[in-house]
Amino acid sequence: MIDQLPEGNSIGWMQAPPQWIFTHTVRFIGVVRVVIQDGEGFILIKKGKPLVYYFKHGRIELRGHAALDYFSSQPTIEINLCRYTPEEFSQALKICDVGKTVPETVDVQKQAPAVPAQAGVVEKTMEDSTVISQPEQPPPVLTEKPELMRRNPVTAVPAKPVAAVTERPIIPEPAILDDPDIKIIGQIKKLNGIVAISVFNDDRNILLMGDVEIDPLLKIARTMLATTKRITPHLDWGSFIHMTLQIPEGNVIVAPYHENNLCILTTRTINIGHIRRILRDLQQDRSGEVMV
Amino acid sequence: MLKQILNKFLILNDVQAAIVIQENGEIIQSMKSGIVFKEDLQGVLSAVMLDSKKTAAQFGNASISMVFVEFSDYFLILGPIMEEFYLAIIAKNTANIGQITYEMKKNQDAIVSLL
Repeated sequence: MIDQLPEGNSIGWMQAPPQWIFTHTVRFIGVVRVVIQDGEGFILIKKGKPLVYYFKHGRIELRGHAALDYFSSQPTIEINLCRYTPEEFSQALKICDVGKTVPETVDVQKQAPAVPAQAGVVEKTMEDSTVISQPEQPPPVLTEKPELMRRNPVTAVPAKPVAAVTERPIIPEPAILDDPDIKIIGQIKKLNGIVAISVFNDDRNILLMGDVEIDPLLKIARTMLATTKRITPHLDWGSFIHMTLQIPEGNVIVAPYHENNLCILTTRTINIGHIRRILRDLQQDRSGEVMV
Repeated sequence: MLKQILNKFLILNDVQAAIVIQENGEIIQSMKSGIVFKEDLQGVLSAVMLDSKKTAAQFGNASISMVFVEFSDYFLILGPIMEEFYLAIIAKNTANIGQITYEMKKNQDAIVSLL
């Protein structure tokens, strides 16, 4: 079924907690392709309303609740948002035979408030642009070089997907990220030499695009930000734009981004001038009209 | 002699200062043009050098090739010269970074020979 779906216009691959999808697709019509280990699936979405959940790993096929529960059992999943034209969407509906599938789907947005509150976990809705980000975890000490931070392709056979999950996923404290933000981040990620890009705040990673281990990278990014926070009050040089640490393997760039921060991991061959211009534009024009 | 080398940087458009500095913040030599060094500049440069060295070490003990901190009016480029010695360049944002980093690499050996 996945192969039959129209391709759509890809925004780009990213990693995010499953709940993130439902809070960031309010104006989105299309398919969210999902990859978990060796299996793949999708969620067909119309303006925030998930219509079809599907996942396939080997001979195992999960649909509806079972697929949703499996997605939700993952702390983060690899996703690719692909926008559909009305024609493509109609075609996808036919392929998915939505008339029969709808009773099996779940309106996650409506269910979300029913999630049992957990200690230290707050949920709040901010208009139609809320990010549900990863639970905070203590960052591990990085001992690898940047190239090694990239995760190895998963070749081992994954555990069998859990068809029925009794516990609902934990919904951690949200942060804000709008659709245009995701588009901009996706465009930056597509630039030559960008290995990964993350939007993060003091507590957690909000969005990651690229194949890297996020915790070690964030530990480094936060250390760099701490340095800039320490020095900025002593300099009369204007507002902070970015800090770039260049090592033989590549560059780590940190920059403020709205209320959050960006961390960009690049190869050594990146055009730093181009990145500088983008980062400046991001700060000068917060409406998202950035020429990437 | 070191001043002559540092002066090569001041010739570049919008470069405001060129400083050879130790990690502990001690300035070995500096040349400036149109900028006033605040008292805590040494502390700032020292913090950037030490923190960056520590951060780079998290990448499998990688060495720093360059540190670049940009603000809306000025930017700072720090490049290691040898051991705990660094060359710091302060410039307006309109300066040509490529040209500066090229000059830094070109003059590194000459600076090392004078330390």
